[in-house]
Amino acid sequence: MIFECRDLERALRSSELMPEARAHAERCPECREQLYLWAEISRLAPTLHEEWESPALWPRIRADLAAAAPPRKPIPLWRWTPAAAAVVIWAVALVAPRHGGQDTSDFLTEDALREVQSAESAYARSIDKLTAVAGNRLQQSPAPLAAAYREKLAVLDAAIADVKANVESNRYNIYMQTQLASLYREKQKTLEEWLENAKRN
Amino acid sequence: MVGADELALDNKLTPRGQMYGTDYASEADLLAACRRRDIRAFEHLYQAHGSRLKSIAYHVAGNRQDAEDAVQETFLKLYTAIHGFHGQSSIGTWLCRIVINVCYDLARKRRRETGAPAEDRPAAGSPPALRVALQDALRRINPRHRTVFLLFEVEGLRHAEIASILEVPEGTSKAWLFEAKKELKRLLTETRR
Repeated sequence: MIFECRDLERALRSSELMPEARAHAERCPECREQLYLWAEISRLAPTLHEEWESPALWPRIRADLAAAAPPRKPIPLWRWTPAAAAVVIWAVALVAPRHGGQDTSDFLTEDALREVQSAESAYARSIDKLTAVAGNRLQQSPAPLAAAYREKLAVLDAAIADVKANVESNRYNIYMQTQLASLYREKQKTLEEWLENAKRN
Repeated sequence: MVGADELALDNKLTPRGQMYGTDYASEADLLAACRRRDIRAFEHLYQAHGSRLKSIAYHVAGNRQDAEDAVQETFLKLYTAIHGFHGQSSIGTWLCRIVINVCYDLARKRRRETGAPAEDRPAAGSPPALRVALQDALRRINPRHRTVFLLFEVEGLRHAEIASILEVPEGTSKAWLFEAKKELKRLLTETRR
């Protein structure tokens, strides 16, 4: 068989034609490039597997599973505008330095860190208020549903404490700050769900 | 009931040759513990599959935050729907199927919110140019072809497993992989010119 450039696709489909394709590629730079890329795609693909540490992910999942027994009801968003505003402010504080185009894109600058910390404190205070509103009834309720929420909140508090300790040792790391923000969001969501459930029952 | 073939398949789907540890002799044991809502069983699953699920979610969703949210949602769905799982496929296959669907839902939601999915920029210390070009090209090809490429070439699954995850014939999985590589080759050729 006389192998021509147009036969290359057939050769890529079936390994039987590959020896002829390689022989042809010796003389044809274009097909040589195509064969090289074809092989490189498979060679490089495994290096695209992404690995990264997620210390807060399992605690988040565990907290979710602990509270999965009660029916999940939608939250009326309009009732939590102040808390939502706090989330937005914090998210903006976290994202803003990334758009600055600086070399230190994975880390916070001193100014940005101050902003994040101030937003974080405000957000933590608003969650504390929410906790105070929900806390008494949650602690005193003998219902199994309340027990599930208590367990989930305990897991979340432990995870928040863990991540906070990590943040303390590396305060400029955006990723850890984002993890902390996720946990706070999860706690807020949990408290809101509990309040909503308590109101309905 | 999980058959011997499915157990063998799941051993392949348990990344890097890990088994389910000394607490669970087989996937059937693990599945039984999951049905009892034993959180430790879910933790075993997370340890065995979490890394691969995060990587798959990262490539479908485009960024780490969304990937982690997708994995979280995947385990919640598994937990709430575990009684509906009768071992028709391996649990690893099922988890992959859930995470891919969760990521597509998330991508749709992101498109509604912002018009485009959020994507991480390449990390500092750029890897070689062709790898970056391949990563970029992968985001631009047909989503179904991309998913097969991701599962086969990046995560090392077999066509039989991919066919089960995507609920398509094995031949379709092979054809989509070929199309994915053809599209990638075309995009890389354009990049190099």
